[in-house]
Amino acid sequence: MADTTETAETAAEATAGGAADQAVSFAGAVKAFGAVRAVDGVDLEIARGETVALLGRNGAGKSSTISLLLGLNEPDEGVVRLFGGTPEEAVRAGRVGAMLQDSRPVPRVTVGELVAFVAGTYPAPMPVAEALELAGIAELAGRRVDRLSGGQTQRVRFAVALVGNPALIVLDEPTAALDVEARYAFWDSMRAFTRRGHTVLFSTHYLEEADANADRIVVIDHGRIVADGTGEQLKRAAGGSLVAFDLAGAGPDGLADLPGVVSVEVRGDRARLRSDDSDATVIALAERGAIRALEVAPASLDDAFLALTSTPASTPAASRTSLETV
Amino acid sequence: MLDYLRLEVRRTLRDAGFVIGGVVMPVVMYLLFTNLGDGADNEWRTASMIGMAAYGAMGSALNTGGGVAEDRSIGWLRQLRITPMSPRQVVTGRALTGAVTVLPAIVAVLVAGGLVNGVRLDAWKWAVIALLLWLGSIPFTLLGLGNGYRLTAQATGVMNMVCNLTLAMVGGLWFPLSLFPGWLRSLSSYTPTNRFAQLGTSVADGHAPALGAVLVLTGWLLAFGSYAVVSYRRTARTV
Repeated sequence: MADTTETAETAAEATAGGAADQAVSFAGAVKAFGAVRAVDGVDLEIARGETVALLGRNGAGKSSTISLLLGLNEPDEGVVRLFGGTPEEAVRAGRVGAMLQDSRPVPRVTVGELVAFVAGTYPAPMPVAEALELAGIAELAGRRVDRLSGGQTQRVRFAVALVGNPALIVLDEPTAALDVEARYAFWDSMRAFTRRGHTVLFSTHYLEEADANADRIVVIDHGRIVADGTGEQLKRAAGGSLVAFDLAGAGPDGLADLPGVVSVEVRGDRARLRSDDSDATVIALAERGAIRALEVAPASLDDAFLALTSTPASTPAASRTSLETV
Repeated sequence: MLDYLRLEVRRTLRDAGFVIGGVVMPVVMYLLFTNLGDGADNEWRTASMIGMAAYGAMGSALNTGGGVAEDRSIGWLRQLRITPMSPRQVVTGRALTGAVTVLPAIVAVLVAGGLVNGVRLDAWKWAVIALLLWLGSIPFTLLGLGNGYRLTAQATGVMNMVCNLTLAMVGGLWFPLSLFPGWLRSLSSYTPTNRFAQLGTSVADGHAPALGAVLVLTGWLLAFGSYAVVSYRRTARTV
């Protein structure tokens, strides 16, 4: 967690430094497809070296945001910058690598041929063997790409994204359709790569995945950013921890006034307090002697996610949750 | 871009459908059509050789469009757009792939003509015929690209096959034009395929291709070229 905090501070400093220092910079970006505003006024800054998760449900606008970022689509309004220039410039300069959603492997080439070809298009690629090693597919170099399992294919696409040694790597739902084991193996590979100081943006709809692998989570819903912060901050935003204990006959009176308590719920003889400062709440309970079968649990990220994304589409963009003040 | 060309040519040559449909079939058809029954006279052995080489070249050229449609459907064109390669390089690489992959069909049928059917021509004639068939296949590559950039992979396959068969039959690549009724014969002279084969047959007969053939082919080149450009522009926004 200490690492995460430091990175967040570095990010804040970099923000003050201006857009040119940023790996990624969105300012009021809008992209509509017909009547649907898939990206609806996104402001986002990602500092160099950050690993950021773009979290949202299916159809929340993750892929559309990524398309704008990569220059595959132009925003209708607003500006998207990569390293201070346009996405096209960054792509031409070989500073971007990406693993796109729904792309299937090119048939009739071997893994080695494919990865070597992509490496050749970049100005300063890493050796092909190194990319295959990082992606965990060194032993598949001679195999045909169209004859691999789903997990292996995903890793080939990862190797394609990273072999150019790009400063920014973008992964659109990299673990969708992978089984649990393949997912863990993939993230191990990913972490080995991020340790080299690259900027990484990945999208996912798995909360645990975002929490475990990113310095920072950006929650997107209805094409807008509804929250931006660490997993810890997200949990706190949703009402912190859950403190439960047996009332043992005592009434619930006064519980709501205890320090940190946000809400009180009584089920039978058991009280459940939602608290944004569980330590203070527990000390206060101890002073009252109300600690029978005491249980303190963090609010789940699922709770946080549901709380953050249940906002109706009509809410103005200003409702973005400011996690720094929570 | 040469790496891209190499990759795409490799992919094409490993495609069993391409090898069978674009190279083996024209050779087999040529040998069948010229050796069935009483066999063919020398003139038809040569004309059919050129017709079938043209037919194979056209099939291979159209196949380039099939490859593009496949690349689009699997997201490979999108992936290429986020490599440092420029769109111009990608399109040029694809067109060059088409230019390279028509060669096996042309060479295979000409070799079958020379070695199996005993077609005898001056050395320069062989070279010029191969060169003209190669250049003459460009309009068909563009037609295939037009289909490939516009249609789904499946529709491109069907459309290419329809174009291929119709143009081959009406253009007289399979049967001598003299067997056609008069109205079809005059229609045939406006097809790109008929004029395409004519480039080769004129040389075999010892004279330069007729101006009419060059004009008609140039017209089709412009038409198919525009079709390819319009299709590409339409797709570029969504790829």
